[in-house]
Amino acid sequence: MIGNKYILLFFRLAVGGVFIWAGLLKIFDPLDFAQNIANYRIFSQSVSLFLALIIPWVEVICGLLLVSGVFRETASFILSASLVVFLALIIVTLIRGLDIECGCFGSLSRRVDYKLLLTDAVLLFFSLNIFLSQYSAKRKKQSAA
Amino acid sequence: MSFQKVLLKLKRLSAGPFSVKKMMQRMAFILLFSSIIGLGANISLIKKFFRGEYQYGFFSLEEYSSIVFITLGEAEELFATGSALFIDSRAAEDFKEGHIFGAKNIPFVERKKKEELNMDPYPPEGIYVVYCDANECQSSVELAKLLHEKGFQDIRVFFGGWEEWVREGLPVSKEDDWK
Repeated sequence: MIGNKYILLFFRLAVGGVFIWAGLLKIFDPLDFAQNIANYRIFSQSVSLFLALIIPWVEVICGLLLVSGVFRETASFILSASLVVFLALIIVTLIRGLDIECGCFGSLSRRVDYKLLLTDAVLLFFSLNIFLSQYSAKRKKQSAA
Repeated sequence: MSFQKVLLKLKRLSAGPFSVKKMMQRMAFILLFSSIIGLGANISLIKKFFRGEYQYGFFSLEEYSSIVFITLGEAEELFATGSALFIDSRAAEDFKEGHIFGAKNIPFVERKKKEELNMDPYPPEGIYVVYCDANECQSSVELAKLLHEKGFQDIRVFFGGWEEWVREGLPVSKEDDWK
């Protein structure tokens, strides 16, 4: 785990910034994102729409929390959990051989491929690092008190 | 209370000791808040969904006014009268294994942008029936949207697709016989 505060600040800005950007693009075009979710052929039409209307707001709120430094552990935990789900979806999609767009960045989305897998893994590493460093710092403080 | 004061108060709150219970409460709050805004801001979309507007795909039929979804019976009639060009949007390998007799293959995976789709030999005022595997695939809908953007005026999406056509024992071919 990386504990340097400047590197952690970079992680927060990178993960937060990416999620704010991705969330805003989806908020402006919810139908496109709903179609992207439906293309994975896992969820029904109604579930796809429901997720497409809620997920972007979770991304933007958590991104803003990370960037502003408020409730870091909660925001990084939610984003890490969603990145784990995205990773699993990418792997399943690659195994099934579906040629679809990821839906990660609204209309600017790219195809599900190994590069996307790597990008998600890097973001997950950053996000988990934020969570674990926050968790251990607070634990240390608690045990010292 | 100013924005800075709110932020300071929140920062003080978040600096408290780590507690799983508090984290769960905050997570639940974020999810609930996102649901309220996300669903609340899109009530018109939700209404349209329950009216059945997005049953074939998430796009506005008002925006893509030249696209119509047709049944097997309608596709069969257009095939019998020869009044429409059938377009197969599946991959070239699938097309070679079998397709609706006389269909032209335009694999959607290779032409995802309007500029990449060369439809010069075809009049925009003709009738075009687009299909893919079955109602689970979306390439026929996506290709139909591209055709609409290129100015085609009468695009029919046969949603039952290749699987329904074969199941009914209708004419098929393995040759490139669309000319």
